[in-house]
Amino acid sequence: MTTAISIRNVTKSFGGLMALNDVSFDFAAGRIIGLIGPNGSGKSTLVNVLTGQFQRTSGSLRFGEHEIGTLRADEIVRLGVARTYQIPKMPPQLTISEIIEVPLHYVARRTPLLEKLSGPEAIARFCGLTQPVSTPCGQLSVPDLRRLEVARAVACGPSVILLDETMAGLSPADATQVVDLVRAINAAGVTVVLIEHVMRIINLLCEQVVVLNNGALLTSGAPASVLAEPAVREAYLGKGYVQ
Amino acid sequence: MDFATLLQPLLLSLAAASLYAAVASGLTLEFGVVKIVNFAHGDFVMLGAFVTYFLATRYGISPALGMFIAALLMGALSALVYYGFLARILKQDQHNQLLATLGLSILIVNTAAILWTPDARALHVPEILPTLHLGRVTIPGNNLFVALVGVCLYLALLYVLNYSRWGTLMRLASDDPELATYSGLDVNKAFALAFIIGGFSAGIAGGLVSLVLYVQPLVGIDLGIRAFAIIALGGLGSVPGAMIGAVVLSIVEGIVNAFVPGGGSWGYGIAFVVLIAVFLVRPYGLFGKELRS
Amino acid sequence: MSTKIVWRLPVYLAIGLLGGGFAYWADPYLIQIALGVVVAALLALSWDVLSRCGQVSLGHAGFFGIGAYFSAMFAEFHPAIPWIAGIGACAIAAALLGMLTLRLQRVYFTIATLGFALALQVPVLIFDGWTGGAGGIAPALVAGGDPAAQLLVGTALLVIAAVISDVVLSAWFRPAFFMIRTKPELAASSGVPVVRTKLLAFVMSGALGGAAGVLYAGLYGYIVPGDVFNLNWSVLPLAVTILGGMDTTLGPLLGTIVLRLLEEVARAYIGGVGYQVVYGGVIIFFIAVMPTGLYGFLRGIVMRLRSDATKADKP
Repeated sequence: MTTAISIRNVTKSFGGLMALNDVSFDFAAGRIIGLIGPNGSGKSTLVNVLTGQFQRTSGSLRFGEHEIGTLRADEIVRLGVARTYQIPKMPPQLTISEIIEVPLHYVARRTPLLEKLSGPEAIARFCGLTQPVSTPCGQLSVPDLRRLEVARAVACGPSVILLDETMAGLSPADATQVVDLVRAINAAGVTVVLIEHVMRIINLLCEQVVVLNNGALLTSGAPASVLAEPAVREAYLGKGYVQ
Repeated sequence: MDFATLLQPLLLSLAAASLYAAVASGLTLEFGVVKIVNFAHGDFVMLGAFVTYFLATRYGISPALGMFIAALLMGALSALVYYGFLARILKQDQHNQLLATLGLSILIVNTAAILWTPDARALHVPEILPTLHLGRVTIPGNNLFVALVGVCLYLALLYVLNYSRWGTLMRLASDDPELATYSGLDVNKAFALAFIIGGFSAGIAGGLVSLVLYVQPLVGIDLGIRAFAIIALGGLGSVPGAMIGAVVLSIVEGIVNAFVPGGGSWGYGIAFVVLIAVFLVRPYGLFGKELRS
Repeated sequence: MSTKIVWRLPVYLAIGLLGGGFAYWADPYLIQIALGVVVAALLALSWDVLSRCGQVSLGHAGFFGIGAYFSAMFAEFHPAIPWIAGIGACAIAAALLGMLTLRLQRVYFTIATLGFALALQVPVLIFDGWTGGAGGIAPALVAGGDPAAQLLVGTALLVIAAVISDVVLSAWFRPAFFMIRTKPELAASSGVPVVRTKLLAFVMSGALGGAAGVLYAGLYGYIVPGDVFNLNWSVLPLAVTILGGMDTTLGPLLGTIVLRLLEEVARAYIGGVGYQVVYGGVIIFFIAVMPTGLYGFLRGIVMRLRSDATKADKP
């Protein structure tokens, strides 16, 4: 099993608050991996540190032979690690196609997936967008904006993609669409990391699950065993997310 | 150089710090907490100064009372501005917020210049508090008053923000507007509240300004810029940081004024230099947290 | 939609013809007005280029003044030298200031540019051996002082500025700039080198502002610091662009023409002090009510008429 991203002793503190405390684990290459944990567990911080929005306080993040912990966000994307944002905020005047073209121009990575999907329209359709690609973002619904966010990340031609709470609040039909999309992306050889709260999806899709709690790694392993662990249930005590 | 010569400018600096902290308090609420970029905050202070000035010179109302009247007026003006156009602009992006409040600043400063001329006025009122003598060091009564009121205003805002229901609402509305809306909170009203309280505190700060500075249309620009510098120094959203930032800034200014020839004419240039220097070393201010996206 | 340069040739031709037409046929008074419009339009375009990536500059008076003064300090050489000096000095100044301030939160950049514009008068007064101090200095005259020829030079500059503006609005830059403005992290996560892009925009913006300064300085052959570093040159481009329409090339041009007319009226009624109150009111009104400016408003009408026309054709 090769490793896509290796996280070693990563700590991130904001003043007095320690959001990540000596976290270490690996993301296996080519798999669909779940990153779960209650609110405040450090998931978002980890994603932000991994993709260059924040600088880690200490520790190492390795992607292949690159130490990405010291790189800028745009440098990390160019190496092949892309992410989506939970709440997509897009310039309202830009069209679907213009948004997707930004990474096509500025990252310009050639991957098997992007060879198959030639151009913004194909990428948009692949991610479930049915609107004409000349539609400005200001006229898109929130679900469509989220699809556009995924399309934008796909257009970065990543070998690792981090999807931040893509399932939140989706109807069952839309959720099925996203599940198929995740599988399709993974089938093209991309390592997918799902940051999620929806346990049914995690169970369904993920081969590996990493659980964070209070900024530290709680456990890691196959979904069935991880979700059965008492410590994991306890971390989520009081929040019934099982659908 | 003996102790008193050093102490005198230092203590006056602390009085100035208190004034700056008073100006920065309202802005901390608007900008630091609810992230409204209000370029016109200093000009609200200026209006408060003019109101206090005219109440004192035309109606003989003591500035101690006048500043509260000014505060009420500035609070009302803030409400007018917020519901008049700012609420609509908050839905657009921060770029337009900056532009609109910049436009407001230009409008207010020039209207003041037309109505009251650009001339600088000095308010001469009897000392509200007795002059303080500490050995050979003298603190004029009005400076003492400014220092005390400034600190009180600042502490009051600290209390409102951290211990009152309003404060919790405001912090929730800005940290997580989605969650706030789902919880039934009127996010718009929370922002309006922050802006109005900010305006109220600007009125009080304006009253203080009228006691120790020249009252003129441009006074707000200097103060507003210093307030932004203080907030950056202290770290965004940190109210204790604002006080510390104010103290640091005014001590540096005091030293430059007292010991560098011609340093007094640098105005807020010192604030600017200090700001750049601090940011080069600590990009999030002296006590700031990184802003979440 | 993003601009394709080729389709814009009619626009450049129109600007050229308008300027040329004025130069050849208009009376001296109108030529002076046209020159004023050209200088203001150059500044407006330079401001908007930077605004597209979310940075609000209050410092264009600084670039204006640097352009004017460097033109003056290199006046005795070949006529091309003042231009190179003025524009080059501005580009360098923008690069230095940008490196210090573009990483900060945007309001601090704005404050820094304001400080930049205000602070520049100090070295001018201190190094009066080179700058002539408060008394002023004689810059290199543009086109030998002939207003009609000056208008031709100005028009040519304006066309160049329009091309630069359109390049920034083209498919490679425009979406990236807007992303940086709306959510810089999104741009960075899409591979855009954010700080480098903002720096590029700032250098282009400063250079264009400097060109406006060199032109202005060369119109009458004498400048004083209080004039070319006046904050009005910082506020004017801002107000004019918001009025005319941000994020476009024709918007700033349209706004300059309209506001110049409004300004003459306001100055007649309000007088010298505080006429900038018009700017303040214009800015607030348009941002709140018509954020796409007059150009956006007119375009909206044209598009509505066109779609009504096609609807009328349907049975």
